[in-house]
Amino acid sequence: MSARAAIVAFGLVLAGGASADEAFVTNQSSDDLSVLDLAAGEPVATIPIGGRPAGVAVSRDGARAYVTSPESKTLSIVDTAARKVLAQIPVAGGPLGVAVHPSGKPVYVADWYNHKIHVVDPDSKSVTMDIQVGLSPSGLAVTPDGKTLLSADRDSNEVSVVDVATQKRTGRIKVGDRPFGVTIDAKGERAYVANVATNNVSVIDLAKRETIATVQVDERPYAVALAGGKAFVTNQYANSVTVFDVATYAKLADISVGDYPEGIEASSDGAFVYVSNWFANTLSRIDVATLKVVKEIPTGDGPRAFGLFIRKTP
Amino acid sequence: MKLQLLAAAALVVGAVGAADAHGPTRQKTEQTIEINAAPDKVWAVIGNFQDMSWHPAIEKTEGSGGNDKGAKRKLTLQGGGVIEEELNTFDASKMMYSYRITNVDVKVLPISNYSSKITVKDAGGKSQVVWDGAFYRGFPNNDPPPELSDEAAKKAVDGVYKAGLEALKKKIEGGS
Repeated sequence: MSARAAIVAFGLVLAGGASADEAFVTNQSSDDLSVLDLAAGEPVATIPIGGRPAGVAVSRDGARAYVTSPESKTLSIVDTAARKVLAQIPVAGGPLGVAVHPSGKPVYVADWYNHKIHVVDPDSKSVTMDIQVGLSPSGLAVTPDGKTLLSADRDSNEVSVVDVATQKRTGRIKVGDRPFGVTIDAKGERAYVANVATNNVSVIDLAKRETIATVQVDERPYAVALAGGKAFVTNQYANSVTVFDVATYAKLADISVGDYPEGIEASSDGAFVYVSNWFANTLSRIDVATLKVVKEIPTGDGPRAFGLFIRKTP
Repeated sequence: MKLQLLAAAALVVGAVGAADAHGPTRQKTEQTIEINAAPDKVWAVIGNFQDMSWHPAIEKTEGSGGNDKGAKRKLTLQGGGVIEEELNTFDASKMMYSYRITNVDVKVLPISNYSSKITVKDAGGKSQVVWDGAFYRGFPNNDPPPELSDEAAKKAVDGVYKAGLEALKKKIEGGS
């Protein structure tokens, strides 16, 4: 094959790939971050982190991944392309949930013990503000317009609504018991909250600031992903993902995955959903159209991937 | 008397809150043992949620609900101490059941939010028993004391699993 033919063939492979996404999976037991090529379905790098990494947030442009380490009380800034930790910023208490503003900064870190959100400026590498929220804030999410931050306050059974401009809590929304992961839809109209203790998902209307539906799932739901008009919910104790229709709330499937599924997110094209299986040390790829597991990708030990862990490569 | 009652009530409320709270780092462990017997024979010994007598640390199993999801059991340990558990899934065709601890004092077992699964697998005519656990340390906050650390939790659970699996092997291979 000539060099030119090889280049053409290579180009076809790239264009024909399902996606050029990469996953940045926090491995809490092995203390590192797995980088997985999701098109090829294989690990491509391991980045040491330390401090039992749990939460992760990839910036909208895909250039950075922010990782929380609750045991060392740090936030790591990772250069995704270089596969390298650029800085580790000390934050107080128990950093767990993390989210990045759509503009790229600031970074919000939920403090599980001190009931606050730390606002971190990634340029100056410092905490610039603390926002008081409910008890044991867990999952965080920012609306696509960048105006509102939500915090699932696990021990208050509420979601806090924070105004990004003033950095103040402006609302509290009652949800189920022990809310953990929170996911906002692409239009910024609804939020989906997994309630660990009541085995259900609260659907929040963000304009009304209230829960408009509660959908029963299986044992110990952890987090929610959205794709193709469906919600995908990891059930930690049932080793499954419950899928329901976001318009009718009808249950569509229970999909068996690896043991203790936790972090979950859709691919950038919405064709697949990826599930991190904490006990099994795998990432399951679910086909959104057929609702079947079509691939298992190995990770490090104890993958949690709590947050938005997928980036689209440039 | 009134004061004592109030104090007791406060303790109970505190205990309920503490049982639900946990640290941010979940621990896992897995212990396995090979037993020179057919899987059916091993499952016949361990495949009843209401009978934990095969484990040498357990003096008594009391419970309700049989092997149905949501069944309860209360394990009384040799020398005192009690563990209360609830069945999550039971699948005789896969020779597997999973359960969680609903109540235990950290002095008995230094863990919180514990869940577990025990499975008998076929290993070429012999059996492999796999016992998995997922749990948080006993101390729900930062910077735990050594007796309630991640390491202490894992060591305690590993000890329970190893003692149980070794006794099970001995019981079945010894034919007693």
